[in-house]
Amino acid sequence: MSIQDELKSAIKAALPDLSCVIGWGAGPEPLRAAPLFIRGEADLQNFSAGFLSVNNPALYLPALKGSKVGVVAKGCDARSVGQLATETLIIREEVHVIGYPCEGVIDVDKVAAALAGVCEPGEVGALREDGDNVALDTPKGEVRLAKKDIAADKCGRCIFPNAENADVFVGIRRAPTVVEDAYADIAAFEARGTEELKAFWEKEMSRCIRCYACRNACPLCVCRDHCIAASREPHWIGQTDDVPDKLFFQVIHAVHLSGRCTGCGECERACPLGIPVLKLKRALSRRVENLFGYKAGIATGTPPLLTFNIEESTIKERDW
Amino acid sequence: MSVLEGKELRVVGFLCNWCSYGGADTAGVGRFTQPTDLRIIRVPCSGRINPLFVMKALVGGADGVLVSGCHPRDCHYAEGNYYARRRLEVLKGLLPVLGIDPRRFEYTWVSASEGQRWQHVVETFTAQIHALGPAQPFAGASRPADRHRPDAAAV
Amino acid sequence: MSADTVKKFISFDALPGFLARVAETGTVYAPRREGGAVVYRPLKPGDAPELGARPTESCKHVVFPRSETLFSFDLKAERPALTESPEPGPAVVFGALSCDARGFLAFDPVYNGSGTGGSARDTYYLRRRSRTLLVVKACKSALNTCFCNWVGGGPASPQGADVLAVETEQGLVLDILSEQGAAFAESLPAASEAQAGAALAAVKAVEDSLPGAAELSAAPAALASLFSSAEFWKNESAHCLYCGACTYLCPTCYCFNITDESDGLSGVRLRSWDNCMSPLFTLEASGHNPRPNKADRLKNRVGHKFSYYPSLHAGRFSCCGCGRCIKSCPSSVDIRKIVLDAVKEAANV
Repeated sequence: MSIQDELKSAIKAALPDLSCVIGWGAGPEPLRAAPLFIRGEADLQNFSAGFLSVNNPALYLPALKGSKVGVVAKGCDARSVGQLATETLIIREEVHVIGYPCEGVIDVDKVAAALAGVCEPGEVGALREDGDNVALDTPKGEVRLAKKDIAADKCGRCIFPNAENADVFVGIRRAPTVVEDAYADIAAFEARGTEELKAFWEKEMSRCIRCYACRNACPLCVCRDHCIAASREPHWIGQTDDVPDKLFFQVIHAVHLSGRCTGCGECERACPLGIPVLKLKRALSRRVENLFGYKAGIATGTPPLLTFNIEESTIKERDW
Repeated sequence: MSVLEGKELRVVGFLCNWCSYGGADTAGVGRFTQPTDLRIIRVPCSGRINPLFVMKALVGGADGVLVSGCHPRDCHYAEGNYYARRRLEVLKGLLPVLGIDPRRFEYTWVSASEGQRWQHVVETFTAQIHALGPAQPFAGASRPADRHRPDAAAV
Repeated sequence: MSADTVKKFISFDALPGFLARVAETGTVYAPRREGGAVVYRPLKPGDAPELGARPTESCKHVVFPRSETLFSFDLKAERPALTESPEPGPAVVFGALSCDARGFLAFDPVYNGSGTGGSARDTYYLRRRSRTLLVVKACKSALNTCFCNWVGGGPASPQGADVLAVETEQGLVLDILSEQGAAFAESLPAASEAQAGAALAAVKAVEDSLPGAAELSAAPAALASLFSSAEFWKNESAHCLYCGACTYLCPTCYCFNITDESDGLSGVRLRSWDNCMSPLFTLEASGHNPRPNKADRLKNRVGHKFSYYPSLHAGRFSCCGCGRCIKSCPSSVDIRKIVLDAVKEAANV
């Protein structure tokens, strides 16, 4: 049986006890799937999981708390489920996690770069998966691309391709891409120096349209309708179109995710203007890992910022 | 107008009510002279300090931010400063990637009796900020006080 | 649109110099690649506009800024002072998409007073609108998400444009569609018959490549009839994130909020974009929210564009079919599917 068929039968078997199973189905164009809410067996024919399954289905779970729900989960999605459960934002027993070995997911921006001079990703007429490659039908003929060249950055540093906390796992577990996330990208970024990085964010954030797709796509952003970014009193952010107001929202998002972000990258993927906002969260995740050895969504127990040690062996305080 | 007009930088201090604010008071009563760049904001406990307070000041154009609370084991609320220590230590990881010099932010502990230590902390931190010079505000913002002044040149 | 105007021509080589001269009298906005996106930016004199790049955002912010200072105030002085914001200068959008230009036709009746018998004219909008020249560049191909032809447009539609530029091998053939457009292109030579012919052929080729349009005449009544169908909207909105990407990228979404930003007693009054997918859009001071969940809000967004607006404005949809809401939706919500589902659902009831 193919993975698709195995997943379908796992979903089918679980459905009677669940209000729905969240997975992926056909999207508005060949390069993009859409999240799919499977409520009955009839919805299954539209289901598929694989290279296009970019959306993180854990996003929808906190709003469904109180009913039994299934999710089909990549490794990173399962980390979000784990973190939500650790923080009791969902009840783990209410969520049925169906895992499968994820081989990475597409980054449409990378496809755009690979197709430069040929066409835009939005002109691709069809996508066919062929092992480690994809074949794209473009107006100028077929273009073949290696999956690894157009996979999301996060897949290149993936340490958990298999949903670690799955209730049901189908397929054969994959080896992780790397054994440890060394945060080399963040180290290299930081090495550019504060002056250059200030200019970097000024340029990047000037594109921001304040749509808050980054926030709304984040599975750990559970305040939803009560985000402090919307508060007038206290007045955290003004309504200008200026960089400081727009950047400060990213600071809020990053700070509120410190020790919580699992690095699913949905914030950055969701940004219609391609602003690399995941960097800020990863900088804080690196800090939390280095200080407290905590990997959000994998570690169990109290999250590091909700507890303390009287003597902190890893914190070297300044000697005045 | 102060004789330091134009030379003074804007350093924001978040001080807990029970120890560090008292320490600053002790320094004042003891007539320990200190630089006047620091603007003190009194909060109930260092555990009250939302890391976003620090960030709001820095992104808004403050030249430096200093947080001070009770020494570990000495918190008026028993453990507020332990939480603060973790939060502020983590926050330090955000500044360099955001393009803000991490030396513009420090946290420390000063008790109510440590007037002299307070003087030392303020002197040391202020000298550090002066060595860095005024922070360049992010494009689109002028210095906080000028920010919405109608005559401020639009960027 | 008048037949007496001749077509003009400008070669790609001459374009940067020509636009630099235009920029002496106003700001020229043109598409520019930045990061993974294409945005409209003021063109630096001497730079060539990136005409091959299809903008991620619409150019509505040139006329309707994301955040606009209406006036500034200073209450500290002995006599409180209000200072009007300066008059905007002239602007040219060079390389707007045809759908972008048509988007302003949905804005106009809302802001120029025609919908209210002239009583509600929005000076801030109108002064920028009258000073903005739209040079549309006809699309050379359609994206999967494009549906301009469903809503009365096309890849080379002249509607709303001052100048329509069509790319040929050597340069752009310009169709002059307004007096301002004529002034803009005055210094340019007339297009030769061969050049004009090549442009016509290019337009025909892309128009022919478009898939057929869906029939939407039943949509306004269908959406109105589904106003109370909670289940329908719950299903359609299940995967929506209710962010504002669709709204803020949309060339026809015109809603705004007004806030004061002040430091003590001085500050500014701003008008900034607002979006109906946000819970704050309808949150009342009492705490009551008549649109408490995303299903209500998505219903409003689709209903407004394809039912409520047309019922107020002579049947015109408040949608130009640019497809940005589909292309940039992080969760792949497809407004075309929702409208078609609504038509089908209403027919079944």
